Amino acid sequence: MEVFMSLTFLIRIILSLLFILSIAVSSWAVEPMEAIKQTTNKILNIVTNPVLKPPSKTAEKEKLIREAVDERFDWEEMARRSLAAHWAKRTPEERKEFLPLFSDLLERTYMKKVEDYSGEKVLYEGETKDGDYAVVKVKIVTKQNKDILVEYRLKKEGNNWLIYDVSILGVSLVNNYRTQFNSIISQSSYENLVKRLREKVELK
Amino acid sequence: MKIVWGVSILSILCLTIFPYPCIASSSPEVSITISSSEEPTLSEQEIEPIDPVTTTEPRTDSRPESAIPIRFDEGPTRVAIANVPPAPLEAEEEIGTIPDPIEPVNRAFFTFNDRLYFWVLKPVASGYKAVAPEVVRVSVRNFFSHLTTPVRLVNCLFQADVKCAGIETARFFLNTAIGFAGFFDSAKTGFNLEKQDRDFGQTLGIWGMGPVFYIDLPILGPSSLRDGLGYAVDVSFDPRTYLAIYFVAVGYVNTGGWVLDKVNEASLSLGEYEDLKKAALDPYIALREAYHQHRQSKIRK
Repeated sequence: MEVFMSLTFLIRIILSLLFILSIAVSSWAVEPMEAIKQTTNKILNIVTNPVLKPPSKTAEKEKLIREAVDERFDWEEMARRSLAAHWAKRTPEERKEFLPLFSDLLERTYMKKVEDYSGEKVLYEGETKDGDYAVVKVKIVTKQNKDILVEYRLKKEGNNWLIYDVSILGVSLVNNYRTQFNSIISQSSYENLVKRLREKVELK
Repeated sequence: MKIVWGVSILSILCLTIFPYPCIASSSPEVSITISSSEEPTLSEQEIEPIDPVTTTEPRTDSRPESAIPIRFDEGPTRVAIANVPPAPLEAEEEIGTIPDPIEPVNRAFFTFNDRLYFWVLKPVASGYKAVAPEVVRVSVRNFFSHLTTPVRLVNCLFQADVKCAGIETARFFLNTAIGFAGFFDSAKTGFNLEKQDRDFGQTLGIWGMGPVFYIDLPILGPSSLRDGLGYAVDVSFDPRTYLAIYFVAVGYVNTGGWVLDKVNEASLSLGEYEDLKKAALDPYIALREAYHQHRQSKIRK
């Protein structure tokens, strides 16, 4: 009887430990590199899916890619950093107007790159973390055996790591847009920037 | 394994022949594996470009954008850490823009190069692409890259990078011997020895020279005063230049080779310039900044 009692006690302890562990695991944030891997694999699965290959499915495929990209990119942080000093001067309405235009332009560029995918190798080179910020280095090996170094810069938002800048071969997207935006605004106006952005996005 | 020995011997040779770069280099030991870079964990977030407007205006969000490398929203230990000068490798956002005093001239050349690309280079490269299979074109690229090994080797030494010099030397012998005179990059595919992209513009940058200002060279494309000078010096290291001095006919072959090289490169990167233009609001500035950042990232390495 005593043996039985101790056994149930032991089982109880094990079960409660497992329960605590499961809670702990679920609240662990995904590591930055893991986050990049998940999104990359998700997108590559969409791109290489034979069901989505025919041209009639392009719209559906693009929608799926867009969803996967939206999940991982922090558009607001990107826009804030790209507009830099000019972001502070914008009203909430102007920001609301700017964000979809900006993310649309970036998504389209990204989409084009992703859709050209033809079996390039993606190698994960490592991550550097500093508090709520992280850099994940990825090497893409093209079919011509050329290496393209990509750096994702991420920021922790709650339990999630979100991308706020991508740098390809040392060229940071945010830095590049910042210079363009600054030049356009200083030479004409913010309104002109939005106009040009809209023309670009609507042009397709 | 033999390769490891070969490179070690080369590094010893280097130590005896060129003592300065070997001593100056922080890692005189040549290793084959290109290690994934371990960097200091201090990130670039503290470094935002100095911006008079941001620093004077009230902020709308919690994270300060000031030029002072202190995080106001973090604990005292954070502040203490952040006061340490940031690691240069991570200082991505620190890169300023490149001075462009001759912008009107550059824009004119940009337009010229743009038309040259769409009207001449692209149609020619597309036709060439249609007849030459990719394997052939990659081999042509390898061949030209093999010819310019002395340029890279000399710059490795100028940059006091023994590892780089060892790799370039080993690559030259390997690709000459088993890469069919450089048509195949066997050193990379077989021995994981990657090409070391070094030029004199970079060397000048490592020696402390800034880009001075941006120049969009006609035909040659984006450059800077420093990199333009560097290019001229690199041409003087190019073995083909010497051959052309002694044999006039080589000059014509060189010109033909140069054109083939350019068309071949274009055929392997068709669409890249178009993508840049598509994503840009001001393609001139996008190209200028991309060039500058790419060069800076190579110098910081």
